Amino acid sequence: MRSALLALSNETYKRLLITWSYKFNILTQLVTVGLIFIGLSFLVQGGHFEPAQSASLLLGYVVWFYARIVIMSTSGDMMRETQAGTMEQMYMSPAPGWLLLLGRMFSLLVSTTILVLLPTAGLVLLLGIRIPLHWEGLPILLITLIGLFGFTLVLSGMALVFKQIDALADLVQNLLLFLTGSLLSIDHFPAWLATIARTLPITQGIEVLRQVMLNRQSLLSAWADGSLPWLLINSAIYVGVGWLIFKWCERFARHKGSLGQY
Amino acid sequence: MLNIFPTVQDTQPPAIEIKSLSKEYGRGQHVVQAVKNIHLTVPAGQVFGFLGANGAGKTTTIKMICGLITPTTGRICINGYDVARERAMVMRQIGAVLEGTRNIYWRLSAWQNLMYFGRLKGCPRKAMITRAERLLQELDLWDRRYDPVRLFSRGMQQKVAIACALITDPPIVLLDEPTLGLDIQAARTVKEWIARLVNEQGKTVILTTHQLDMAQELCHRVAIMRKGTLLADQPLAELLHLFRQEYYQIKVQGLLTHSLPEQYQNFTLKTDDTTTLLSGPVDQQSALYGLLSHVSQLGLPLISVERAEPNLEEVFVHLIETGRKEENDEKRTVGSLQ
Repeated sequence: MRSALLALSNETYKRLLITWSYKFNILTQLVTVGLIFIGLSFLVQGGHFEPAQSASLLLGYVVWFYARIVIMSTSGDMMRETQAGTMEQMYMSPAPGWLLLLGRMFSLLVSTTILVLLPTAGLVLLLGIRIPLHWEGLPILLITLIGLFGFTLVLSGMALVFKQIDALADLVQNLLLFLTGSLLSIDHFPAWLATIARTLPITQGIEVLRQVMLNRQSLLSAWADGSLPWLLINSAIYVGVGWLIFKWCERFARHKGSLGQY
Repeated sequence: MLNIFPTVQDTQPPAIEIKSLSKEYGRGQHVVQAVKNIHLTVPAGQVFGFLGANGAGKTTTIKMICGLITPTTGRICINGYDVARERAMVMRQIGAVLEGTRNIYWRLSAWQNLMYFGRLKGCPRKAMITRAERLLQELDLWDRRYDPVRLFSRGMQQKVAIACALITDPPIVLLDEPTLGLDIQAARTVKEWIARLVNEQGKTVILTTHQLDMAQELCHRVAIMRKGTLLADQPLAELLHLFRQEYYQIKVQGLLTHSLPEQYQNFTLKTDDTTTLLSGPVDQQSALYGLLSHVSQLGLPLISVERAEPNLEEVFVHLIETGRKEENDEKRTVGSLQ
């Protein structure tokens, strides 16, 4: 337990230090993200801006922004660490591989949460958007993020084997913006597209989060209508499949000798 | 493997034991054999030089020792622990600076790197801090310990990488071309540091380098690889002594301007204003007489003929050339049979 905590804190500390060293880049990114949200709000609301109607959009956008940072960081980190040789050093730790991976994921969660909270707070204060804070939203967000991290395990594994996955990661995060109901609820999608959308990593999380946070739906009610069980199943599948694919890719990379190649 | 030399038993128990190690990449017709069935024993408390041209299989072998590449066949034991089965214990035995210009986080300071890698490798906090302070002071980095590593010179960065490999005080240190790209002063510092690791701290150092003069100065034992095959694995002194028996220096009056016959291509020529010194291996007495006859025909008076001790570079070149010739002979034989 102590070694697990040590691994988590060590990775988190390192990530925060490195993130801080890129502070000006990150500040620019955060401003860009805020501006894109304002632009999207006008677009979705037909050229008007209604703070009351923007809450739903902001919730979806925030979850997508989480996904964007996690996906882009995962592929970028793998690439950078392979080039730097620190990836191989990491694999030379006596700690078990799953613990190191958990440490990386946890550190990414912490740093991403900080990065997401900053523009969200800025937008809420600047544009007067009211998002009711209910504790029920927290477990929903956590389950959604667990599924998202499961999904990024697939990308991490691919990065170990194929290396150049930046473009793929960029494509994926852009697709998620439009296909997961981040901007527009999937109720407005054609049935076939809505079905596909529900299988994606953050779609169900966004839907349940909106119900719980904005429409005051209880967790019991979300469980009863099947939306919460599907969210749980969806996240569990992503974690399970992601883990299997990552381990397979890791094994393949060791056989291929590509852990340190780029 | 070409068994050119008899194996000499070292007195200390081995730090690394490699048995029947092979690594193949690719499949079918595109198989590349990076390492071919090598057996190796690295004695503890010595500098072990792993030499070979680019693509010889050194780095692949080092990475298999570190558990970063899975061997196709064979077994590696580090201080008695099996790399495939006892990974955690193996990782506690080794520290490594792998090939390449980095190994550390350039955005972090030297101190932050040491703390991060120390915790990553499970080093207790108190011991880690004491050791980090000592390493930074000994490597002359103490005054700049809080500066980001990206602002350091190449030599200083390499020192930080070495310090990170040593933060857990591992008994075995693997250094893959640690002086690559360093200036003379920085390379000297690294070299002195390697010698201290072994002489003062009793560590085992596995060193791969193309700087054979450095290898000759530091190594107790060397292994020479070519195309995945181990050509030699000997204590350095014995290796040089073995070659002494077939290594000659011939000094003649005047300047040798003609090239030597093909069979003497391994010879090196050094000239000054009045004499020429020919140094090289002669495997048969008749070949020596043949060479003397050749210089005599050129009208160059003979000054001296001596049996001499070659340096590691000359032995290395000779072994590589021998390996190449044998490979060509094999190909010719196979070709004629087909």
